[in-house]
Amino acid sequence: MRKAGSRGEESSVTPALDREPTPPRTLFDPAFLQKLEQLSLISRRRVRGWQRGERRSTVQGRGIEFDDYRAYQPGDDYRYIDWNIVSRLDRLFVKLFSEEEDLDVHLLVDASLSMAEGTPTKLALAARLAAAIGYIGLVNLDRVSVAAFTSAPGPRLGRLRGRGRAFDLLEFLAQLAPSGETNLALSIRRHLASARGRGLLVLFSDLLDPHGYEEGLLLARRYRYQTFLVHILADDELAPRLAGDLRLVDVETHAAVEITADAEALRAYAGARDAYLRGVERFCFRHGIDYLRTASSVPAEDLVLRYLRQGGLLR
Amino acid sequence: MTLGAPAALWGLCAVPLLVALYLLRVRRREHPVSSILLWQRSAPTPAASRPTRRIERSVLLALQVLAAGALVVGLARPAIVGRGAGAQALLLVLDPSLSMRARDVVPTRFDRARAEALQAVGSLRPGQRAAVILAAPHPVVLAPLSGDRGRLRAALAAARPWDAPGDVAGAAVLAAQLAPAGDARIVVWTDGSHGPLPALPRVVYRIVGTSDDNVGITALRVVRDPQRAEALVRVENFAGSARRVPLEVRRAGTPIYRVTLALGGGESRAVAIPLALEPGAPAGPELLEARIAVPDALPEDNEAVALLDPAPLPSVLLVGPGNPYIERVLRLLPVARAARTQTVDVSTWRTFGVVILDRVDPGPLPPGNYLLIGTVPPNLPVGASGILARPTIATWDRTDPVLQFVDLDDVRIDRALALGPSGGRVLVEGQGPLLWEYTGRGIRALVLAFALQDSDLPLHVAFPVLMANSLAWLGGAAGEVPVGEAVQVPAGGEPEAALLFPGGRRLRLRATDGMFVLPPLERAGVYRLTAPSLDRRFVATIGGSHAGAIRPGAAPLPHAPSGAAAAPSEGLLTEVPLWPWLLLGAVAAAVGEWALATRRHGGEA
Repeated sequence: MRKAGSRGEESSVTPALDREPTPPRTLFDPAFLQKLEQLSLISRRRVRGWQRGERRSTVQGRGIEFDDYRAYQPGDDYRYIDWNIVSRLDRLFVKLFSEEEDLDVHLLVDASLSMAEGTPTKLALAARLAAAIGYIGLVNLDRVSVAAFTSAPGPRLGRLRGRGRAFDLLEFLAQLAPSGETNLALSIRRHLASARGRGLLVLFSDLLDPHGYEEGLLLARRYRYQTFLVHILADDELAPRLAGDLRLVDVETHAAVEITADAEALRAYAGARDAYLRGVERFCFRHGIDYLRTASSVPAEDLVLRYLRQGGLLR
Repeated sequence: MTLGAPAALWGLCAVPLLVALYLLRVRRREHPVSSILLWQRSAPTPAASRPTRRIERSVLLALQVLAAGALVVGLARPAIVGRGAGAQALLLVLDPSLSMRARDVVPTRFDRARAEALQAVGSLRPGQRAAVILAAPHPVVLAPLSGDRGRLRAALAAARPWDAPGDVAGAAVLAAQLAPAGDARIVVWTDGSHGPLPALPRVVYRIVGTSDDNVGITALRVVRDPQRAEALVRVENFAGSARRVPLEVRRAGTPIYRVTLALGGGESRAVAIPLALEPGAPAGPELLEARIAVPDALPEDNEAVALLDPAPLPSVLLVGPGNPYIERVLRLLPVARAARTQTVDVSTWRTFGVVILDRVDPGPLPPGNYLLIGTVPPNLPVGASGILARPTIATWDRTDPVLQFVDLDDVRIDRALALGPSGGRVLVEGQGPLLWEYTGRGIRALVLAFALQDSDLPLHVAFPVLMANSLAWLGGAAGEVPVGEAVQVPAGGEPEAALLFPGGRRLRLRATDGMFVLPPLERAGVYRLTAPSLDRRFVATIGGSHAGAIRPGAAPLPHAPSGAAAAPSEGLLTEVPLWPWLLLGAVAAAVGEWALATRRHGGEA
């Protein structure tokens, strides 16, 4: 008999980024957690899990959800013979049920320095969203992995299962702090290379990656993950409130660009911003990646209870 | 259009500075952002780095320039001069001060003021009257209230600037007294460079002049005693910036001294030049000339002259009950003649250069030079309101020629007249004025408030020195007079004399009561009065050490509500102040610039 978490569960937490440990913060209040318990993650494809769960598996077995009929074969369990059909056709058929197995949920949180922008910060919103989705997964007996990524290997917490691990999840996310640069492709490659199950990959990032976001997202698709991208931007990134002659310094790369922030420059920025966002939308649509863009000022509760449900991640 | 404070226009220099700073500013404020990815993709054009683009496109700079310009022009207090509708009397006051001859306004400030006054006369309507007043050292009415334009124009055309500061305040008061009640307006053209102007009802000031660029000779004096002589030249830089001033002094046309003075803004320097006294030198007066070669707005005070000839010794008459102290001093001092009388007979005084009135009531004084001891005449602007018991000497003016080398320490006074002067100069002061000096109306007088017998002054060394200085000052009147003074010279029996002006003009004078009464001297320079048995020269000097200060002052704020609202009913000339609108515009431009600079650009994604 295999103990829960004894197979493939990386229960040890990798040391946090270069910072002092901080006590876990309260990400949600109990009332909101109660609301989350009524939700579940939607998997658009059948999954092949490791343990019985509440998810329709690619394996037919002992679930409760009817799947198909087939002719009786010696050795089949008599309890699954459909006696109504026997009475009508005088032939033996057994009912097949979908095996309900667990779902692997991978939560990847961008913890680069650029995520410290915004009020609240983009990282804070990403952590709350990841906590909410992870909690929903745990309540529904899914396996939840969560990792913070930058260009350097970040902390990760692997394959949690069951409501009892919710505290670990929330504590892990509460302690995330921004550091380092963004390298989406490297981070996803590193994470997926070590992940065992295929399943749902939820990515929280601002996509402000000088190397580009395309390669990383394509990698997730290549590994046949159902990918959901939550694109978080700060208000000042959407509409910068700048004026005068400025030397803008990138907090991650320390590269600089000199601008005169007059109306024309801000119009040009708005054009570049719109083109960039349209490009992300098209890319996700073309490759079957679910995409949700939000400002960091939008309350996490609204996003979870409203927009993520409308976006098809929760029900 | 007039400017209340034209000096404020210098502030416009800040505008090109603002643009230059905008162009040259290379330091950019560092601003951390989460990523420069989108900024790099916002495709800056090469024209973005062209400096002039920032001017072309920067509404902010335009608003800054607009705000600064409006503020500066507003501080200059501009106003539009227009024609009013209702006033029936217009009193035109012209300031003829030396500073009004400055050429910073073409052709001169005075000419500009006169042109505006002529324009005002030209705009008189039938039934309206005007008067012309000259704010000379003693204000004069050149033309009384009249509707005759020709007469008014002639009066204005005859007006000349003087080489002395005018009495603008006195002229404004005189105009206010002449103005009919209610329906009158007084317009004063001045540069306001000699102190604050009084805010009076119905008085509007037109400030002319824009510059303070002037360096001038403020004093040229010859100090001499039997052994030696010395010329003292004082040069003052009235401008705010430093100047190098070449100074040359000539004696009888021959240069005897040259120096270049470095004067900071507002600085003055005195130069003492020893003069050789040659026993065998030809008799007659010698001219000492000082000249500075510096281009400025007021060249009139770049030259000064003094007479080097020994001042004639005064003849002195002592009128009084007898005073052994004075009589002994008069025997010792160099005087041409000394006489004593106990009777007050004014007719006998004319032949004496100085009359000493000792404790006698002289009645009204005729023109002349007087030392009054313990008595006050009725026709001087000083009165005695009582007796001061045991007054002590607190201060005295050591710089005045009368008190030079006079030490009044330890002088005790038992009692003195309580003088109440209005004008003149108080030279010694204790509980009240104890020695008072006056020059005017043809009279030069020193009033000592106490009798010599009531003090121990005659027992001090200061007494003979004080007497010598007093006689020198009183007797030297003929040698040097300030511009604006009416000089009277004893006729010495001559019925007629000729007065030769510095410019060469000649004027015939007739003796009145044994005196030649000269007209007020308008110009500085050497004057010569000649008759068969008379040949007197005297120098008219620029009055006041600050006569060369030409920095335009500011008009006082209107005494009564004026401006656009008051204009229609106030006078022939109305002043619509523009500065409130300009300041309002400056504030609006500044607020607009701030709002534009801080407004949120771009749209939400």
